[in-house]
Amino acid sequence: MQLSQKQKDRIMDTMIYALLAILTLSMLYPFYYVLILSFNKGTDSLLGGVYLWPRTFSFENYARFLDDPHWYRAFLVTIMRTLAGTALGVLFTCLVAYGLSHRDLLFRKGYFTVIIFAMYFSGGLIPYYVVLRSLGLLNTFGVYVIPSMLSTFFLLIAISFFQEIPSELKESAYMDGATELVIFYRIILPVSMPLIATMSLFLGVGQWNSWLDSAYFVQSEGLRTLAFRMMEVINKSNAPMDAIAVANSASAGVTSYSLQVAAMVISIAPIVCVYPFLQRFFIQGIMLGSVKG
Amino acid sequence: MELDTRVTGIKGKTEQRTQFWKRFKKQKTLHLFVGLGMIFLLVFAYTPMFGILMAFKQYSISTGIKGIFTSEWVGLKHFKEFFNDYQFGTIVRNTLALSLLKILFAFPAPILLAILLSEVKNLKFKRFVQTISYLPHFISWVVVAGIAFAFLSTDIGMVNRALLGLGIIDKPLDILTNPKYFWGLATGSAVWKEMGWWTIIFLAAIAGINPSLYEAAQIDGAGRLARIRHITFPGMKGTIVVVLILTIGSILGGGLVGSNFEQAFLFGNSINNPTSEIVQTYAFKVGLRDGRFSYAAAIDLIQSVISVILIFSSNYIAKRTSGSSLF
Repeated sequence: MQLSQKQKDRIMDTMIYALLAILTLSMLYPFYYVLILSFNKGTDSLLGGVYLWPRTFSFENYARFLDDPHWYRAFLVTIMRTLAGTALGVLFTCLVAYGLSHRDLLFRKGYFTVIIFAMYFSGGLIPYYVVLRSLGLLNTFGVYVIPSMLSTFFLLIAISFFQEIPSELKESAYMDGATELVIFYRIILPVSMPLIATMSLFLGVGQWNSWLDSAYFVQSEGLRTLAFRMMEVINKSNAPMDAIAVANSASAGVTSYSLQVAAMVISIAPIVCVYPFLQRFFIQGIMLGSVKG
Repeated sequence: MELDTRVTGIKGKTEQRTQFWKRFKKQKTLHLFVGLGMIFLLVFAYTPMFGILMAFKQYSISTGIKGIFTSEWVGLKHFKEFFNDYQFGTIVRNTLALSLLKILFAFPAPILLAILLSEVKNLKFKRFVQTISYLPHFISWVVVAGIAFAFLSTDIGMVNRALLGLGIIDKPLDILTNPKYFWGLATGSAVWKEMGWWTIIFLAAIAGINPSLYEAAQIDGAGRLARIRHITFPGMKGTIVVVLILTIGSILGGGLVGSNFEQAFLFGNSINNPTSEIVQTYAFKVGLRDGRFSYAAAIDLIQSVISVILIFSSNYIAKRTSGSSLF
């Protein structure tokens, strides 16, 4: 039987829609599954069979998360590093970018060469560790926020953004005798809100998700981040360990596994909350990122 | 007029110098701002670059930064030691295998997804699929590993529970621990996490294709597959080449689809170690855990040098064969 073009198109359409629907489900369901698991009683989850809805509904996992000094502390450290790291990163990167956005700046080419070179080459982890050690940053909160203060990627984006700002805005301020610093925070920053929002979201998500720096440069238990704590649990449970061992650590229906699941949801939640805003900006972000190449 | 410029040209030098200082003084605050950034890069980017010297020396961490310069030269000792390490073969094989698998699967996946999405006429559906597809990009690898555990672990993993319950398998699948599954697990999770994100850039390339090309093809009676092959795909070629170069240049670290290190660290364990140990995890272990800094720096350096060679050669080949290149 010979199919007409129209029939062929319809078959292909159906296949495409089905394929995309399966794909979307495979990306959505894992998040949903973790969510319902976090609201299910921990000891009950170990029995399996929870697929679509919590079987024995419980807030106990979250209550324990907030009670547990390890988890709670990690949660606070993560919030603090996200706020401090994002604020510092945005301000410092913008300040340097503001200087470089003046086309008549002396040595401008030289400055750019230094930046581009640093973007492409790095000394690697070990020498970096030695530098942080000599600066006394190891085992401090500073190691989370100071080395990430300048993002070369966003530096280039900010420079091109500032160059688009009409110079009349600045000139009238110069006339009034304003200093560069005043112009920067009174005029430049307020008109650069779209840029600042994009940077904040990306740097913020990076800070929030980060665990490598905690693994590399921190030994102090009080400075662990949320992602690091989750990594610890995963590393422990990947080693052969059965459900009984997990259940043994249970109390009040909460297991170390259900606590971990609650932590995962707490770690995903803020990202899902800023997601609608992220989305508006990140298309432009990735485009610029590809141009930078 | 002509005379004027000649005159200024003659008395040039000193006047230029005073003008230069005038300009510099006027810009001094700006230079202060930029200078802070330069100091930052000097400390956090350039000092570590000089630190690479330690790969050729017998460096001891107690001597601090100065020790990098004052410690004794040992030439290629650490490199030789790595080549003679009994794990050398496996580590290099694993690193290359993971990188190759990612180029083969994780790189084409977003291209395919972009083409599929471009064929969807229902805009609401298209938007929905896209929105969901790049959500995993923003989630930490740690959480992805946690999700993998919730689904695949032998004791509480949902997939194993379900398959056992249905009687499809009679023993849980040890996907998270069996060495033979690790490469597939790493590649699969990378595709899952980053496919949607990289689709954005390919969809943008498709959006840039002149719609009249499609209309003309339709009039000529070209079927859908023919249109994809002769219009959509060629229209994406430039973008594909650029993304491919970027991927190859960074492939030893995991390419654009997430970090090999994070995957090997999170999904790796003592049982699947024969396939999950890669150059970076090994360098981390011998360096920061065992404190053999020079040795680890040497291993790191090998990987960086290969990466630089890869990006320059792929760029060169791309320029020669397709005319598109990064630089």
